[in-house]
Amino acid sequence: MDFFLESLKASWSLILSLDRELFRAVWTSVYVSVWSIVFAALLGIPAGLAVGLLEVPFKRTVITGLNSLMAVPTVLIGLLVYGFISRQGPLGGWGLLFSPSAVIVGDALLAAPIVANYTLSSIRGAHAAILPTAMTLGAGRLRSVLKLLSEIRFGMMAAVISGFGRVISEVGVAMMLGGNILGYTRTMTTAIALETSKGEFALGIALGIILMSVALLVNIVFQILQRR
Amino acid sequence: MGPLYRLRMLTKRHGHKAALSIAGLDIFEGCIYSLTGPNGSGKSTLLGILAFLSPPTSGTLHYDGKPVEWKGRSLVPLRQEVTLVHQSPYLFEGSVYSNLAFGLKVRGIPEETQRSRIGLSLETVGLSGFEERRARALSGGEAQRVALARALALAPRVLLLDEPLANVDGRSAEVIRLVISGLPGRGTTVVMTTHDPDPPSCLNGEVIRLEEGRVSAPPGAPETPVISMRG
Ligand SMILES: Nc1ncnc2c1ncn2[C@@H]1O[C@H](COP(=O)(O)OP(=O)(O)OP(=O)(O)O)[C@@H](O)[C@H]1O
Ligand SMILES: [Mg+2]
Repeated sequence: MDFFLESLKASWSLILSLDRELFRAVWTSVYVSVWSIVFAALLGIPAGLAVGLLEVPFKRTVITGLNSLMAVPTVLIGLLVYGFISRQGPLGGWGLLFSPSAVIVGDALLAAPIVANYTLSSIRGAHAAILPTAMTLGAGRLRSVLKLLSEIRFGMMAAVISGFGRVISEVGVAMMLGGNILGYTRTMTTAIALETSKGEFALGIALGIILMSVALLVNIVFQILQRR
Repeated sequence: MGPLYRLRMLTKRHGHKAALSIAGLDIFEGCIYSLTGPNGSGKSTLLGILAFLSPPTSGTLHYDGKPVEWKGRSLVPLRQEVTLVHQSPYLFEGSVYSNLAFGLKVRGIPEETQRSRIGLSLETVGLSGFEERRARALSGGEAQRVALARALALAPRVLLLDEPLANVDGRSAEVIRLVISGLPGRGTTVVMTTHDPDPPSCLNGEVIRLEEGRVSAPPGAPETPVISMRG
């Protein structure tokens, strides 16, 4: 118990002293997550809208597939992207492996199905009536779609935020594709994993506290948006 | 003068299910039609077609003497003449005013005119002063009446109403009935679904009865392939 309390105390002093190594990891996490969620949104929102609004063939199968993609383990995504960007892979020449860009690619692939599914569910149910309503009031195709987007904007924001919560807290992709390089690809989660295994419990706890706060904040914003 | 709508051998399928199968039906301008029939008989499906929102699977629909081509752009001017109020209407996020303004803005109607039309329409459905209320926070009956006002503000040539009296209390239902029965006088054709076994006589229009997607002849009338109803 003493060990735990000592570490907790040490972790607070790390946070309060704005420890460089600690904040570098926090910064990398946020940077990587923000970029990956941008790409995930660019992929996932149009995909969710397309599946929800268009007459796509095998719609039910596509929706089931999209749902299943949310459950793909992070290490599997890591493995897949690794295969593409490692020296021998088809994209090996780009030298992406063990860079923040590699983590961004993996995290974007992880979050895109989440964003797509939340977008999809935000245009079902009552919201399925938005387009017909706008059209029967005389709006053209473009105007109706714009109205739809403005009506479901909170749903889309919730989609993006839940994707963000997923990528900032995952460790598999960041470890396999980033490689946990100090001051370069070390994120909060990979740092926690490493520091703890080294016995550097205080830094692990400090990062854990920050990660928890970020996750909590994200969750609160998500809840507020869901209630709209 | 020919009918406003002329339906011939019109069918609509949802997947494998035949929801509608109408040999012939004419709808004339300036009349009130009550569309009746049991649940699932195809009433809402028919209104969706008359509103140019969902194309029939087969058959032809003439509107105003011209065959309807079910292609994107050509439908917009038709939809600007015909407005459907859904069975459970969707009100947009924002104020009641902005809901009523949407269709007027689409038509490029000047703001002065918008304001007066919106006020008048709300008054018509007994909701004066509701302009700034948040639309999504209204009661079921209020929402129904706002949706009706939203359609009335457009002064459509055809008003299609799906169960306009379902959610509203007796007094509001009286108000809505009165509004509807005044519409032909303003040149508006009305087709409304209702579960009333005998639709209110004050509406004194024609009754179209659907059964399993087919128009069934009014009781006592001989079965004819084409049922013309003139008001
Ligand atoms: N989107 C859809 N997909 C599949 N089947 C549908 C769809 N919409 C309607 N149907 C089916 O088509 C038939 C006609 O439905 P419709 O909604 O037109 O009936 P209705 O007369 O309006 O019924 P109600 O009185 O309950 O409103 C029903 O059997 C219904 O199950
Ligand atoms: Mg119906």
